[in-house]
Amino acid sequence: MTVSGMHDARDAEDSRLLEAGEKRRLMESYYGLVVDRCRLRLRDDAVALDVAHEVVVRLLDELDRGRRYGVPFRVVVHKVIEWKIAEHLASRRSEAALDEWLERASLDSGEPPEAIDGFEALLEGLTELERTVVRLRYEEDLDFGTIARRLGKEANAVHQIHFRALSKLRRRAA
Amino acid sequence: MSESAVEHVFDEFALAYRRGERPDVREYLERVPEGPEREALADLIDRFLVAVPAREPSEEEIVLLEARLEREPALLVLRRRRRLRREAVVDALVRALGLDPRKRDKVAGYYHQLETGLLDPEPVDRSVWEALAEVLRANVRALAARVPPPPAALAYRRAEQGFVLQARLGERPPSPAAEAGGLDEVDRLFTGAS
Repeated sequence: MTVSGMHDARDAEDSRLLEAGEKRRLMESYYGLVVDRCRLRLRDDAVALDVAHEVVVRLLDELDRGRRYGVPFRVVVHKVIEWKIAEHLASRRSEAALDEWLERASLDSGEPPEAIDGFEALLEGLTELERTVVRLRYEEDLDFGTIARRLGKEANAVHQIHFRALSKLRRRAA
Repeated sequence: MSESAVEHVFDEFALAYRRGERPDVREYLERVPEGPEREALADLIDRFLVAVPAREPSEEEIVLLEARLEREPALLVLRRRRRLRREAVVDALVRALGLDPRKRDKVAGYYHQLETGLLDPEPVDRSVWEALAEVLRANVRALAARVPPPPAALAYRRAEQGFVLQARLGERPPSPAAEAGGLDEVDRLFTGAS
């Protein structure tokens, strides 16, 4: 299944859990991601877990309000993670701006904020060949030899294309 | 380290993540030197995590989440998930550690302290963690270390027989060793004392 297809399946399951009122289950399903992203940004593990907890509490508070969104719930999760990490790094509270974003993201506002980057957005700036190699590597879990046979190229050339693509992504991510 | 080290480590992480292996971001970050390269790797992995579907959480993470939300010790949450009575865990510990059954009450005292966050997990012997991991089927060492005790000075704690009011005024209860009047193998296992 493509990454896009997996997102669609996940979004559908999130909607089902929201409709069923299974808030805790929904949060559990995102907790690993929340912890991973907090650990990437806040290297002290205890601090990372504290901020991850703040993210969960904020999201559960959102769910308790019963608000529905014009964007997938995962978009809201990522937004709150980024907000809480930034808030921690800046050592100040800035809930008002987050509240404003969440309000704009709600169905009632009729004005959804920018959609979150998906896998396609991650690949922006790469050539078509680089995109194809990265997709085959991470969507289909193929080794360089198999990718090379599919594309009619040498394995060494595919290896170089792949790492050139990752270097571009690295520069963009910085 | 060459510039491509970041890309190589990222590639390994991304493949493991997409295979559902729950790679530990901390271990991958430590594979490149601290400084710009580690930051570049963190940025790259972070963008990847935003782009791909979230991984399934581990059971330890679910226990950790529940413990934090309920402000309960993680070991207690885990034991409840396993539907085990504390006595059953203590009996299993005594057997697995090869201890004299007459020391059971002492083991029970230490396990109670460990489970409720009143015993420092740091000096607890590896064999105790291994025995607990066997009976509770989880990485209990990591769970016990990560969850701080509830912050309330006074906490109502559910006991096996009902609710009891536990005063938590910064003082730990007397250790089973002090009550028993001497140090033995059980004390060594749970406190490192010799």
